[in-house]
Amino acid sequence: MNFPKPPVGMLPGDRVSYSPIVNRKPLKLPGKARMVVWTITNVEEWDPTQTLPRTVLTPPAGGSPMPDIPNWCWHEYGNRVGFWRLLQVYDEFKIPGVMNINGVAVSAFPEMVKACVERKWEFIGHGYTQRNMQKVENERADIKKCVGLIEKATGKRPRGWLGPGLTETWETPDILAEEGYDYVADWVLDDQPVWMKTRSKPILNIPYTQECNDVAMMLIQHHKANEFYERAIDQFEQIYKDSKDSARVMAISVHPYIMGAPHRAKYFRAIFQKIRKKKDVLFWTGSQIADWYKKVGPKAE
Amino acid sequence: MSTPMIPRERADYSAIVDRPPLKLPGKARIVFWTIVNYEVWDIGKPMARQLLPAPTGVPLMPDVVHWGFHEYGMRVGCWRFFELFAKLGIKPTLSANARICEDYPRVAEAARDAGWEFMGHAYEQGPIHKEPDQAAMIKRTMDIMEKFAGKRPVGWLGPGLTQTLETPDLLAAAGVKYIGDWVYDDEPTTIKTTNGPLVTLPYTIELNDIPVMLIQHHNSDYLLKMAIDQFDRLYAESAHRAKFCALAIHPYISGQPHRIKYLEAIYDYVNKHDGVLHWNGEQMLDWYNQQPKAAP
Repeated sequence: MNFPKPPVGMLPGDRVSYSPIVNRKPLKLPGKARMVVWTITNVEEWDPTQTLPRTVLTPPAGGSPMPDIPNWCWHEYGNRVGFWRLLQVYDEFKIPGVMNINGVAVSAFPEMVKACVERKWEFIGHGYTQRNMQKVENERADIKKCVGLIEKATGKRPRGWLGPGLTETWETPDILAEEGYDYVADWVLDDQPVWMKTRSKPILNIPYTQECNDVAMMLIQHHKANEFYERAIDQFEQIYKDSKDSARVMAISVHPYIMGAPHRAKYFRAIFQKIRKKKDVLFWTGSQIADWYKKVGPKAE
Repeated sequence: MSTPMIPRERADYSAIVDRPPLKLPGKARIVFWTIVNYEVWDIGKPMARQLLPAPTGVPLMPDVVHWGFHEYGMRVGCWRFFELFAKLGIKPTLSANARICEDYPRVAEAARDAGWEFMGHAYEQGPIHKEPDQAAMIKRTMDIMEKFAGKRPVGWLGPGLTQTLETPDLLAAAGVKYIGDWVYDDEPTTIKTTNGPLVTLPYTIELNDIPVMLIQHHNSDYLLKMAIDQFDRLYAESAHRAKFCALAIHPYISGQPHRIKYLEAIYDYVNKHDGVLHWNGEQMLDWYNQQPKAAP
């Protein structure tokens, strides 16, 4: 089907050709490892003067009166308290962290940045603010500002990108490649990394998740807290089985204001208590996955 | 008038791990704070919450169905609460629209006579943004409650926790000492207002029957499960620093026959633990104000 082309950028199908996973040459991980798990922590600073990205409480009689202080505070709880609970889990199970952070949050929460830098976490760009990329005035400037703030605070340029709410314009991958990004995680279309065409050099897409993601599960689908654990284990067991002959990647994505709430924290911990024991599973960052795939995977066309 | 402060100007970011632990008296380690919400839903206005969408999907006025849904709480559900808390010897914080003193004196008197703490919760139920004169409404609320209960309330919770940017300034001016609207921490904090400091107490929109039952549509027993998980975690952390576990309930939700047993079971569970204080907001405030240096 020839869908009408956008004026700038590309259609998804023009960046990545269809490829059934069963037809690909097997991917091998180092040693006896068969799959990789990467865990992404999303840290944001919400602008109290704008409509908030998510809410837990609606106002009496509905509507969306501004400002929305209760839901702003509900999110801020994650930064003041919840994040520090998640950090205990990462420390306990020696999980290499991936900090997916808004540029503005880098400045707002220096204590969190310091804790992650000390632990050698990977920082990836998550927009300058928590606003849809389609609504950002100047996408390139937004991406540049985010890169600059992360580099300044951590001493390293971010190599990976995950858009706020995974949003992209038709042009986002082109801009990311031009701004020096090695990988993006917005495309939840596969269990393995895939090369994406851009108008300059190709960029790698790493498997992220809207399935094992606390925003989707807790805030949209309204599952009980233990379902986050149950689903992660079901997801893990299937991917582990599928990885017998060719390596696959599983992502787990959390937000401190959701899984960092006291009544949910133990279910997050229980995931790692169960899966961290597996000797043939690697716990990696996005950059480690990208570097491995560039070495052993197919070359970009 | 200058632009009102945004939240970050009222309170700097502060990581809980960077603060010295707060200590409760004696061997106490955690405060269990029960907040009961009694409201007035004016039949002349849209109802605050809806359970049953109108057949065409368009809400019509008057909304007798949801007026009745709420009224059940004031006729029946609240008496299940009174019985439970009398049996337990707990005196909760009553977050009440001041108008309950006029429309439901029987209920308001029962709460007053049982020694519950009266906390300001606006004159009637509706977002504070729609108040034409917020300062006057706050004063009216405080005055009515003071006259009725014989004591001016020290606490405030906005309807649905709603605030405009200037609300904390107006509340401090009206003599409010603490608010529950800022659910951004596990501990009490002090925020800036143009009329002096104001304390925030850790209220909850997690362990609260509105989001859990009416918005997220969980099974009735999930409030109990969530309360156990919430309490277990906070209790474990209270080995190192004082913790606070709030529970917010409404008579038209948790006072329903199919839900009340789960509420009762929450207290059975919590009371099996040592070192639990059932304090109201004013008791928490008094304790917090005596701490050497109020935490940020």
